Amino acid sequence: MATTDPAQTDLGFTDPDPRRSGPLDRLPAIAIPVISVLLAFAIGGLLIWLQGVNPFRAYYVLFSSALGTPEGLLRVMEKSTPLILTGLAVTVGLRTGLFNIGAQGQLLVGAIGAAWAGYHFQLPMVVHLPFAIVFGMLCGAAWASIAGALRAYRHVSEVITTIMLNSIAIALVDYLASRPFKEPDQPISRTPLVADSATLPFFGPIPSGFILALLVAIFFGWFLVRTTQGFRFNTVGLNPSAARYAGIPVKGTILLAMAVSGGLAGLGGAVETLGITGRFEPAFNAGLGFDGITIALLARANPIATIPAALLVGTLRSGAATLQFQTGIEPEVVDVILAITLLFVSAPIVARLLFRKRNVKQTTVTSGWGS
Amino acid sequence: MALRVDGVPPTKVKATLRPQMSGAESRVGLGPLTKGHTHMHRKWGLAAAAAAAALVLAACGGSSDGGDSSSSGGGGGGGEGDCPGADSFCIGLVTDTGKVDDKSFNQSAWEGALQAAQETGGYAKYIETVDPKDYENNINQFIQGGYDVIVTVGFLMGEATVTAAKANAGVAFIGVDQFQGEEVANLTGLVFNEDKAGYAAGYLAGLMTQTGKIGAVLGTDTVPPVVLFGEGYKAGALAANPAVDVTLVYHEPNNAFNDPEWGAAESKKQLEQGADIIFGAGGNTGNGALIEIAKAPGAGESTFCIGVDTDQFFTVPQAAKCLLTSAEKKLTLGTKDLIILAKDGKAPGGNFFGLTGLAPYHDTEAAVPDDVKKKVEEVIAGLDAGTIVTDVTLG
Repeated sequence: MATTDPAQTDLGFTDPDPRRSGPLDRLPAIAIPVISVLLAFAIGGLLIWLQGVNPFRAYYVLFSSALGTPEGLLRVMEKSTPLILTGLAVTVGLRTGLFNIGAQGQLLVGAIGAAWAGYHFQLPMVVHLPFAIVFGMLCGAAWASIAGALRAYRHVSEVITTIMLNSIAIALVDYLASRPFKEPDQPISRTPLVADSATLPFFGPIPSGFILALLVAIFFGWFLVRTTQGFRFNTVGLNPSAARYAGIPVKGTILLAMAVSGGLAGLGGAVETLGITGRFEPAFNAGLGFDGITIALLARANPIATIPAALLVGTLRSGAATLQFQTGIEPEVVDVILAITLLFVSAPIVARLLFRKRNVKQTTVTSGWGS
Repeated sequence: MALRVDGVPPTKVKATLRPQMSGAESRVGLGPLTKGHTHMHRKWGLAAAAAAAALVLAACGGSSDGGDSSSSGGGGGGGEGDCPGADSFCIGLVTDTGKVDDKSFNQSAWEGALQAAQETGGYAKYIETVDPKDYENNINQFIQGGYDVIVTVGFLMGEATVTAAKANAGVAFIGVDQFQGEEVANLTGLVFNEDKAGYAAGYLAGLMTQTGKIGAVLGTDTVPPVVLFGEGYKAGALAANPAVDVTLVYHEPNNAFNDPEWGAAESKKQLEQGADIIFGAGGNTGNGALIEIAKAPGAGESTFCIGVDTDQFFTVPQAAKCLLTSAEKKLTLGTKDLIILAKDGKAPGGNFFGLTGLAPYHDTEAAVPDDVKKKVEEVIAGLDAGTIVTDVTLG
């Protein structure tokens, strides 16, 4: 049954044309994530209170340290940058009916690809920087295309393959960082520093990677709604059968969407390497791709909404250390809050999946044709 | 697989017969979708309203005490975390990615900081690092908080510590397990001769083995201290008994220190090959080996394990039964001593070699003959004094 339909995962994120939605439709779309976040904060506050700390003070410390100082704001921007991009990566997949769990692996491959392009070549900045960024992006795209091709042409669930490719990516980058790409004459598994000509500069106080991430998010906000290719992505996500009748090459679209998704995650890794860490080291970049899933679901697969969602996660992660310093609350409380948020925002999807199951039961006769 | 109906490919059959498969509502075309969404949203709107009401209630209940303490926290100019005053001696510790109760370096260093705080009447606080990119920020928390001594744990934090020390000459830094290539006056690297600790453990194993075969399950050979432990162990065993057969296995670099299953499997393999004493050195990977050996028949009587870094009788109690000793870096002692030196402004720049040795025998005390204990003590004293050299070098 599952082998014949190349895109039947309906995750409820395939909005064909938001312009048609009335105000009644728009309100709950914002309300679900907002309420999820508020509920998560309420439960997180309860946990903080149980540890003997006033939750209002804890949240005040968390947010004021992240947003109240120039250094804090810089860190929020730096932490949010890869999150916007991995959030977009997952978003593009969701819109096309693909659940890309592999943003983490694609990001790692992109990060080490950009590092290699950054340290291995000596080029003028005007060539070197774009080359390193694009190379990292292509590495991520190529990595995701493995899962995309398996999905499009062999009907293998991308959920499974992207998870498995994450593990392979971790092993691959660990190998590369500890053997062929390793910085010589020192004990740590890491690449050399990238050249200055491949390092993302600052625009005044703002890291250019952050600006790039914002521009990419805005671009995809336009691309998914206003372009033919974006329409194809959405249509395939909505109903691949209808898309096929409409003359859309479904398999090619799935492969392309997966490549774009992986390219965005790879871009996130490239920007992280070239803008923040300056080199690839396996311990860096942990969890960025998985945060992308939270962000995309929190943003309801809306590209523009990934910006505030990523900023929220970046703010929480940025303020966690000061939270522990000032109140003794362990930084993992942030993970708890994010996990609860994810639970609440995905509740509608779970409901939808359950709902669909019931429908399947009612239509056993017809589904028998397909299997 | 799928049936073909009148030559129509199965996918097309599905398209016409199974529109419901893809969603809650009929989704043949794009039109009905909005209807489906509205339906869903209305339900969620209700739930949302209920949840919002609950939130408002909760917020009202807690608002009175919230107002009080946020003013005390925000207004004081410094929160609870800052060093209480210029006359108090404040010790800050930043963990490597991990917790202060990690049963390893973070914990040992933190215990040293606590002991130093107790002896000096000072004040100690820690921050647990979650993301390695935050090393610098976490160190800065203590600098801005007016701390006198900052302890950073683990060689991965070495560069961030050097940078912070250079930028803050008035603050004393102690880098636990951080070898200093160049000397910074206000930074002391607490390092250890792992080969000496390994040598002492190997010497004991060489004297104790009944089968003439001993083994070691180690983290990756890309991390030099692990190699020093392993090669020191081998050298010590051969010094005690030139006929002993020593097997060293190293984990691959990936996940080298967090693979207890691999550690358990490798130790089992070595036991089956006749080894009766096995040294486990490599974080959770080594701990997995120790725990596996404790389950073996004869554990604590004829089969023993040796731990690493800290006294693993306390850190891995599951292995207590077989644990002969641990090849110990006296990390708590070294951290404490350096902090107290730093208080008096006497901490040396560059590297400070902490003592190594073997942890107490604990439960296996009775299994070790007195003459073996005496010989091992002499060897440790010789290693400390430099009269015994391990001859281990990194290739």
